[in-house]
Amino acid sequence: MSGDGFEPRIVAFLCNWCSYAGADTAGVSRLELPPNILPVRVMCSGRVSAEMVLKALLSGADGVLVLGCHIGDCHYGSGNHRTVKRIPLLRRLMTYMGIEPDRLRLDWVSGAEAGHFAKITTEFVEAVRALGPLSLPLREDLDTG
Amino acid sequence: MMDAGRHPNIELLSYSAVVDVQGYVGNFQVRVKKKPRYIDLTKCTGCGECVKECPVEVDSEFEVGLTKRKAIYRPFAQAIPPAFVIDKRPSPCKSTCPAHIPVQGYIALIGQGKYDKALALIRETTAFVGTLGRVCHHPCELECKRKDVEAPLAICALKRFAYDVAAPTAPPPAPVERVYGEKVAIVGTGPAGLSAAYDLVRMGYGVTVYEALPVAGGMLAVGIPAYRLPKDVLQQEIDYIKALGVEIKLNTPIGRDGGPTLEDLRRDYDAVFLAVGAHRSRQLNVPGEDLPGVLHSTDFLRALNLGQEVKIGKRVAVIGGGNAAIDAARSALRLGSQVTIVYRRSRAEMPAIPAEVDAAEEEGIAFHFLATPVRILGENGRMTAMECIRMELGAPDESGRRRPVPVPSSEFTLEVDTVIVSIGQQPDLAPLAGVEATGWGTLTADPDTMATPVEGVFAGGDAVTGPASAVWAVAAGKRAAESIHRYLRGLDLRQGRVFEWPKAADIQVEIPAGIEKAARREMAALPMAERKSTFKEVELGFTEEEARAEAARCLSCAVCSECQECVKLCEAKAIDHNMREEFVDLEVGTIIVATGFADFDPTRLPQYSYGRSPNILTGMEFERLTSAGGPTGGEILTAEGKVPERVAIIHCVGSRDVNANRHCSRVCCMYALKHAHLVREMTGAEVYEFYMDMRTFGKGYEEFYERVQEDGVIFVRGRGTEVRVREDGKLVVRAEDTNLGRPVSATVDMVILGTGMEARPDADQVARLFGLGRTADGFFAEAHPKLRPVETNTEGVFLAGTCQGPRDVPDTVAHASAAAAQALALMSKGVVTISPTVSHVLTRFCTGCGKCVLACPYNAISLNGDGKAEVNAALCKGCGTCAAACPSDAIVPLHFTDDQLVAQIVGVLQ
Repeated sequence: MSGDGFEPRIVAFLCNWCSYAGADTAGVSRLELPPNILPVRVMCSGRVSAEMVLKALLSGADGVLVLGCHIGDCHYGSGNHRTVKRIPLLRRLMTYMGIEPDRLRLDWVSGAEAGHFAKITTEFVEAVRALGPLSLPLREDLDTG
Repeated sequence: MMDAGRHPNIELLSYSAVVDVQGYVGNFQVRVKKKPRYIDLTKCTGCGECVKECPVEVDSEFEVGLTKRKAIYRPFAQAIPPAFVIDKRPSPCKSTCPAHIPVQGYIALIGQGKYDKALALIRETTAFVGTLGRVCHHPCELECKRKDVEAPLAICALKRFAYDVAAPTAPPPAPVERVYGEKVAIVGTGPAGLSAAYDLVRMGYGVTVYEALPVAGGMLAVGIPAYRLPKDVLQQEIDYIKALGVEIKLNTPIGRDGGPTLEDLRRDYDAVFLAVGAHRSRQLNVPGEDLPGVLHSTDFLRALNLGQEVKIGKRVAVIGGGNAAIDAARSALRLGSQVTIVYRRSRAEMPAIPAEVDAAEEEGIAFHFLATPVRILGENGRMTAMECIRMELGAPDESGRRRPVPVPSSEFTLEVDTVIVSIGQQPDLAPLAGVEATGWGTLTADPDTMATPVEGVFAGGDAVTGPASAVWAVAAGKRAAESIHRYLRGLDLRQGRVFEWPKAADIQVEIPAGIEKAARREMAALPMAERKSTFKEVELGFTEEEARAEAARCLSCAVCSECQECVKLCEAKAIDHNMREEFVDLEVGTIIVATGFADFDPTRLPQYSYGRSPNILTGMEFERLTSAGGPTGGEILTAEGKVPERVAIIHCVGSRDVNANRHCSRVCCMYALKHAHLVREMTGAEVYEFYMDMRTFGKGYEEFYERVQEDGVIFVRGRGTEVRVREDGKLVVRAEDTNLGRPVSATVDMVILGTGMEARPDADQVARLFGLGRTADGFFAEAHPKLRPVETNTEGVFLAGTCQGPRDVPDTVAHASAAAAQALALMSKGVVTISPTVSHVLTRFCTGCGKCVLACPYNAISLNGDGKAEVNAALCKGCGTCAAACPSDAIVPLHFTDDQLVAQIVGVLQ
């Protein structure tokens, strides 16, 4: 499906304390970052509900990236423990819906890991590019507001 | 420190530990356990008189083991509060002793030569000092922790010594004044009956003891032969009990031969204690058992002990493996017979005291193990031989011992003319109408309180347990006395009593490093010829030197010996050995954690040989050595008392080392320089300082370094790699001089190890208690390494000092002041400012499912009285995990609501 000139649009949920700071550090370090990443800041990756991920896919995103603090480093102690359980479940749900589960990825980036942030985002953009645009037949019929 | 102790707004809870923390900033509930100090702080004047007679010495923690302190002590001269404290730990011997005699106390007193006091201390628990000191099966010795060094203490022999040396010359006691009108009847003058009488008479009750036999003492008098327990020893102890006011009625059986019945006693007395013992011998149940020449050990020993004529033959077989069998066999030997013990199991299963079995063997008694009689053969109405059958050991029975089973067709005949049967005893309950018996033929009584089902009647000793040991009978008598006292005073029989003492196996005792082995002393014995022909006492007791040396082996593992000497010396009456721990609940707004550091233990790096020479010191030890209040009065001396000529100082011991701690402990360079300066100034010794880098990190520190260089200290740049102890005691330090690029070594008289700082071993527990994080080095984590060095991630909890990381005194003071300022800032406002990013419940949508409660990492959400979720805004940190968990979108993290996030998602995708 990968067509020429296809630029995937990725919604990235970044936790305030680690990944958002990591993205910031990557920018300040002048690393090359894919422009396909569309960040949404949340206080904790545990805030990212299934609804948010599906909403992003239904609203036109080709992939969703959830980034949080490393396990054990969560600013809230155990918020990311919820995320680590929720995302694999969601990936299975996506399979039932006819959406490739690899369009959703969970990873950890600390505030200091600028290079890691650049690597993860670049890899994920390429992976979604290979999957091609997300076509959801019902997307237009759904309420995207 | 003095100022803090005296300040009216500072309450110091010393000798205490925080056990629980609940709540949140501004509203913490803290539970503090106050350990029992055994000294009333409001009364103690700190005069120090109590220390004078304390017999126990242990290493002083403050002087890092360089000097000793007593069990009652003040941790250090300037301690706040200046009051004393008693170091009291569980005692394996006292815990194990059925009668809970304060063993460690009389041993400590014997060690100090205070024999009268040792005897008096034992008599506070039991009157049978010389008796138990001879016949006790001493279970305490099995648990004595000295066994982990070489052998347990000879506790029993020491008790005997206390009696032998002090009792004969002590004046008889004065009668005890009656406090209560009630009278107690006791049946039986054995160790159980007389122990109950002893305790009851001392409480102030009237006590009458009934005895069927013409002598008092029960089995002690008529069961145990004189060569083990001389008659005069037992009689003196019974006289002691009588002198206190106990009335003993001899030749007065209960319920038979015209004596009063149990009903009579119940009518005439306010309580009755039945301690009739187990004097009836069990039968063999084999043919020929009633032939003349077949005796029972109880009858045999009773007759012997009562001085009656006993006729036995030349060749005697004793059947059985218990203490009574051994007593009968050794007695028969003394009457001139050849004796064989026939026992159906093997030696390992014998219930007799092993030392008694050994003594019997030494005296020439033969043993026939794994055999049992099947028939007594007789001729002309007298026995002539005994037919036995061989046994083998089968599967273990309910007692855990292997059950003997006969080997078919293995009968053999023993040519003997006398058989003494000693296969067990039972109480004779027939005369005691109205009491309840068990299936074993013993009396029914509560094992804790000794109460029988009959109102006002208690029972204990062999009559309840079956044949046991004297000390168990003493314990039963003591328990019964306490129960009878409670019964007569209308108190609950159980409330506040301790029936289960800590198990010795659960008591952890650290054996001091480098303890010297010292053989256990055994008592001298009577010469063998005399032993075999007379009933003179076999064991001769300790000499004074032997006793003192044996007592000195005590590890003092319980520290306080409970000898009560301090109580007598304290004029302020501040000492209470029965103090218990207390809990204090505090409501506080902020918490400052200042739990400090641990000194690195250099035994973890064996290359430094720490512990192998007393002249290898840690920095902390050297610090005490140079203190005017220290062990040498501030003089720098080697362990041999000489001024050292050459001293080496090794930096970074346990710091900056991948094999120990990676971190730099920061303070050691400066204290090592101070030590070098002190050695140069006070002794003029040559000083070699082995360092990796010199870290002079503070104001004026570099200047001090330069001064020490001018002192003539020899600096070697390179890690000290090893310390070797030479045979002549000199110490060889090896290192690589990185400036020269070659190995160097120095031979010195003293080595000071620059031991570093590390997190305390219990830091993880403290971290959990207060909700703190820890950094990779183990110290508590601050909220931000640069900008928030005293705050933690738990709001309202601050760090001060070395619990957060290594720092020296000025830095600690600064850090502590900062923590105080942070606490004051919260207090002066009186309110807590929080971020507006908190969750909010839309009550009308909330179904009360509780998913958010589980999701919240801060316990900020709870279900209120209406079954709806409620957020405590002071606790909520706004992570939003609750919103993601809520199935009905009823909980909204402000500024990160679903609508706001969806708008963002749609926005970025447009």
